Amino acid sequence: MATKTIRVDYLARVEGEGALDLTIRDGRVASAQLRIFEPPRFFEAFLRGRAYAETPDIVARICGICPIAYQMSAVHAIEQAFGVEVGGQLRALRRLIYCGEWIESHALHVVMLHAPDFLGFPDAIQMARAHGDAVRNGLALKKAGNELMRLLGGREVHPVNVKPGGFHRLPTRAELTAAAESLRRAHDLAVDLVRWVAAFPFPDYQYDYEFVALRHPDEYPFNEGRIVSSRGIDIDIAAFDDEFEERHVAHSTALHAAVKRRGAYLVGPLARYALNFDRLPPSVRELARAAGLGPLCRNPFQSIVVRALEMVYACEEALRLIADYEPPDAAALPVEPRAGVGFGCTEAPRGICWHRYEFDAEGTIRTARIVPPTSQNQPSIEADLAAVAGTMLDKPDDVIRDRCEQTIRNYDPCISCSAHFLKLSVDRR
Amino acid sequence: MSGEQGDPRRVLVACLGNPDRGDDGIGAAVARALGGRLPDGAALVVRRGGLLGLLDDWAGCDAVVCVDAAAPGGAPGALRRIDVVAGTLPADMALTSGHAFGLAEAVALAHALGLAPAAIVVYAVEGAYFAEGAAMTAEVAAAVPEVARRVLAEVRRLQRSAAALSAEA
Repeated sequence: MATKTIRVDYLARVEGEGALDLTIRDGRVASAQLRIFEPPRFFEAFLRGRAYAETPDIVARICGICPIAYQMSAVHAIEQAFGVEVGGQLRALRRLIYCGEWIESHALHVVMLHAPDFLGFPDAIQMARAHGDAVRNGLALKKAGNELMRLLGGREVHPVNVKPGGFHRLPTRAELTAAAESLRRAHDLAVDLVRWVAAFPFPDYQYDYEFVALRHPDEYPFNEGRIVSSRGIDIDIAAFDDEFEERHVAHSTALHAAVKRRGAYLVGPLARYALNFDRLPPSVRELARAAGLGPLCRNPFQSIVVRALEMVYACEEALRLIADYEPPDAAALPVEPRAGVGFGCTEAPRGICWHRYEFDAEGTIRTARIVPPTSQNQPSIEADLAAVAGTMLDKPDDVIRDRCEQTIRNYDPCISCSAHFLKLSVDRR
Repeated sequence: MSGEQGDPRRVLVACLGNPDRGDDGIGAAVARALGGRLPDGAALVVRRGGLLGLLDDWAGCDAVVCVDAAAPGGAPGALRRIDVVAGTLPADMALTSGHAFGLAEAVALAHALGLAPAAIVVYAVEGAYFAEGAAMTAEVAAAVPEVARRVLAEVRRLQRSAAALSAEA
């Protein structure tokens, strides 16, 4: 029996540490395993016994790129458990800070981490010598997103201004007006970015994913909605465990998630876009069509285009929210703890981020569960790797290895969040 | 940041590293030691991560002095001065970064984009222990006053040389 192993011992340009083992037996892919060996971080364990009010500051530390996702899912869960409803301008400000996170996270991934794959450069630094304007524009976009996070979150990394009920401090109109200037420039840069990435050479590959995302009656989803899928799931976020389960696998310190009845599913930009295309404003839909995308995109390599489109959307939405801003009477609603269970699910840049907390009467956390997007996507990443590698087994190992790394980066995986990153080995016999 | 665009004395001191990870805290410790002692025209920034942001931090500056921890090599607390002239840090200079984008990458990217100041000097202090939640080792903590003194002297030297270049121009 002919067996070959292709191994990537440390995957670059992703967040966190992991590896890939690809085993080829008799001319076909026998297994593709994303090995995540970053140590578990035990956030769920050390949230137990902490006061509810500490939660946003603790969970923000899960990720330096997408702390807002963790903060938002946490405060929504707390508010649900304590019977608090945050609406109006406070809710709008939460969407606004989420816009900032999408812009900075997507800009980093699209330009600095993913684009070099398509243009044949080993990294963004080498790419910058040939595509300096694109890299400068990407950095300017990231800066605009960071500025929004700093304005609303107090600082761009691990923001400190989010609290259950609202915020510690409200932005002034003048501060938001100044941010709008920068966002108008960022919007134009994002439109240029869509056109730039849409012209990249994309591998001819499609996969019939079960897309899973939030869906809201009126909005492209950030903070609120039902969990829906392209194969009929339509549930309240509290019913997550009815349809989904997390499984331990030997080769990963991150749990794998699956639809109980079917298996792998996909969260993130492709899923959000497919399930919420009609919630995008006409301007973004038109831009998508001009970029060659219909309302559904099953080519994971084109996720880079969808991320760029989501940056345009986030800039437009941020500008709309700022234009409509009327400072509310209070920075936060009063929150009175009570015993209970609360759920939060919001759209991190990489996909849905689901939280469940159980509190005692004083608001102390009894149990916490956090399901980050990358752990949900792991089975789909492995399915993609097997399928993509399967179409190119006659190619040299280094060509297979490069394409596999690119395939993983399609997901913008945040290993640190899920381990919860990459080495690639191909076992060919 | 103090100083106007084009002011020849604009020097930035960038203190890098995560103070909650043992000897990676050298940057923050040196920043505290420098508090209030930098001359006019010099500014201080402390970054515990997100080093892409350095490109914004040093925009408009003539020179940058970076303080960072270096990987263990058997002599904790040992100080090395690196004058980055060619756009890259020496290959054997493994500055510590928990993420893929560290100081070496920020410097290389800035040079590729034409966004690097004319002078970049790195003071790298060799660390020994970088565990989360750990304090700095005694050897690295003991190096803080000397690093601060050398950085102050470097800032004054860079300001003088920038002023001289400006006068020549």
